[in-house]
Amino acid sequence: MSIQAPALDVPAPQLLFRRRIRPFAMLRELWAARDLVMVLSERDLRVRYKQTKMGFAWAFLTPLLMMVVFTVFFGKAVDIDTQGVPSALFFYTALVPWTFFASSASAGGTSITGNLSLVNKVYCPREVFPLSSIATAAVDSAIAATMLVVLFAIYGEVPHGTSVWVPLLLAVQLMFTVGVALILSSVVVYLRDLRNILPMVIQFAMFATPVAYSFDDPDKFSGTFRTVASVVNPLVPVIDGYRRTVLLGEPPRLGLLAISAGVSAVVCGGGYLLFKRLETGFADFA
Amino acid sequence: MPTSRSSYPVGTISAEHIWKRFKADPTPALLRARIKQLPELFKGEKRGWRWALQDVNFRVEPGEAVGLVGINGSGKSTLLKILTRVMYPYAGKLDVVGRVGALIEVRAGIHPELTGRENIHLYGTLLGLTRKEVASRFDEIVEFAQLEDAIDRQVKFYSSGMQMRLGFGVAAFLEPDVLLVDEVLAVGDSTFQQRCIDRMRTVLTQGTTLVFVSHDLATVEGVCERALWLHGGVARQDGPVREVLQSYRQALEQVAELAADDGPVQVIKAQVSGPDGGVPVTQEPCDVNIVVHNQDSRQCLVVLGVSEGPAAPIFLLSHDSQLNADAEMDIRCRIDRLPLPRGRYFLWMGVFARFHGEQLNWQPIAHFDVTGQDLDPGPPGLVRLAPVHVPARWAVEQR
Repeated sequence: MSIQAPALDVPAPQLLFRRRIRPFAMLRELWAARDLVMVLSERDLRVRYKQTKMGFAWAFLTPLLMMVVFTVFFGKAVDIDTQGVPSALFFYTALVPWTFFASSASAGGTSITGNLSLVNKVYCPREVFPLSSIATAAVDSAIAATMLVVLFAIYGEVPHGTSVWVPLLLAVQLMFTVGVALILSSVVVYLRDLRNILPMVIQFAMFATPVAYSFDDPDKFSGTFRTVASVVNPLVPVIDGYRRTVLLGEPPRLGLLAISAGVSAVVCGGGYLLFKRLETGFADFA
Repeated sequence: MPTSRSSYPVGTISAEHIWKRFKADPTPALLRARIKQLPELFKGEKRGWRWALQDVNFRVEPGEAVGLVGINGSGKSTLLKILTRVMYPYAGKLDVVGRVGALIEVRAGIHPELTGRENIHLYGTLLGLTRKEVASRFDEIVEFAQLEDAIDRQVKFYSSGMQMRLGFGVAAFLEPDVLLVDEVLAVGDSTFQQRCIDRMRTVLTQGTTLVFVSHDLATVEGVCERALWLHGGVARQDGPVREVLQSYRQALEQVAELAADDGPVQVIKAQVSGPDGGVPVTQEPCDVNIVVHNQDSRQCLVVLGVSEGPAAPIFLLSHDSQLNADAEMDIRCRIDRLPLPRGRYFLWMGVFARFHGEQLNWQPIAHFDVTGQDLDPGPPGLVRLAPVHVPARWAVEQR
């Protein structure tokens, strides 16, 4: 059986390949690849552990050094109102979840470009790369969070009972983080320039998030301001919420949190669809 | 890995009208160069696209073994990447039914900082196994890859052959419905290559569909029963492996003939025939008649070779000869019993003089057909280095 050369220069338009996006089939496939997420993140942790002398100690050190800097500069020099909480606790409680978001965004954002040799050669659902970066950041944050116990002991305080709200806050934060990581990682493949400004953007984002201060003072910030802030940055009620529940013994501001959850859901869902849309070209750009 | 809902049986590959294009010139990395391009962009000039595949139709039934051949850049790897779903086609309909295992650059998934053990878990999961499945096959993989002593060493201290063995070892135990293999046997010593081919044969007998890309045509012929020849992104020929490889080799030969250059010795005429001037016959006498024009008087080694494809000959014949200055020389060579089965072959020639180098570069000078006996058949997966016909007498009887 011999074959003739194509009669046409270009494919007939009805033949054009269209990627059909079936979210449920895709999520099922992702679920089947859950081991891969774990193994990839284990790889990153192991490699880092092998390459550095201090290994996992860095998971403590980064937020701890940040806390020292914050306590000295914002606590003493700028005199931030810490609502009666020891300033080290005030900063660290926000720094741990912030560091989780920041390292997820920066590592997740470069996860596809960083794994191009794999993306180009092995088939797997591509979301595993940003998701495994988030898993790695989560392990680091969990290690860093154990430092909180030490800090509580030093200051002779205990977390309030309202801490039961933390899982809800975490869920909202995780949803937003996944969305951001999916969007960044897929867009960075096409716009490599973003890789260079990403660290700076994350720096700015920290100042737009109540890490070094709090938006939770009704006398200083109006309700409208906080509503707008929660829409623009869904992390605002979340980070403030960690402080309210763990340190102050108050429930999170549920109205703001609902807004944040809504925005996060849109970012997460939209980010997933965008990722799936852009995914088809990843291997071509390698 | 994923199973698409499909009307075809498991193990089928159905690719219809596959088109794939790439950007002809990638965006320049330098800002300066990009600024230079700006006016063109404003004029609306679109950067060109280069077709990597044009209207390729490819259908493989479950359990079939198909070889993909073609020169570099002909689109073999692109087609394979589309079949693995690493890449998406620009146009066309694609259906690969069942679990797909792909061996494309097996070293890509291996991390140099990790140990062999950690890498087996990593790469196995990457190829679509669960952690449990990797763990249950771990010992077999290590044994197949012959890495018992090095398994807890970091892979950056492995030799490239060991890395390849590690990768192939993991992939060999995938048990996919469709196995896609791209030129992975290039590294690794001959013992290991034979193990890999044995493994592929085992997988084939279990009913796995195989698509095999290689420049090693002998292996393609040994492993596959069918072949697809791609040229410039277009399917040139699809059919039984020997037929396709024959046309492919012939095309390669023509390219080599065109590339032949001028030297002090020039071939004027070259002919291979039977004693009566007819077509040479297997195990019969055969005459090679060559006329060359020679410039300088030299004592030379005249070498003739017969090949089925380019460059590597099945056998060589050489003779020390005196070539006279500025004269036409008749070179005659009689082969008493031609050891070639039926098929098309190429006659190569080179003339080499001591201290004076090549008088005639090693090049194909003619092609000829042989009639007579067919090659004895062998089982699939057994690679014959060269087709040689050996006359033999058999006896099979009860003792």
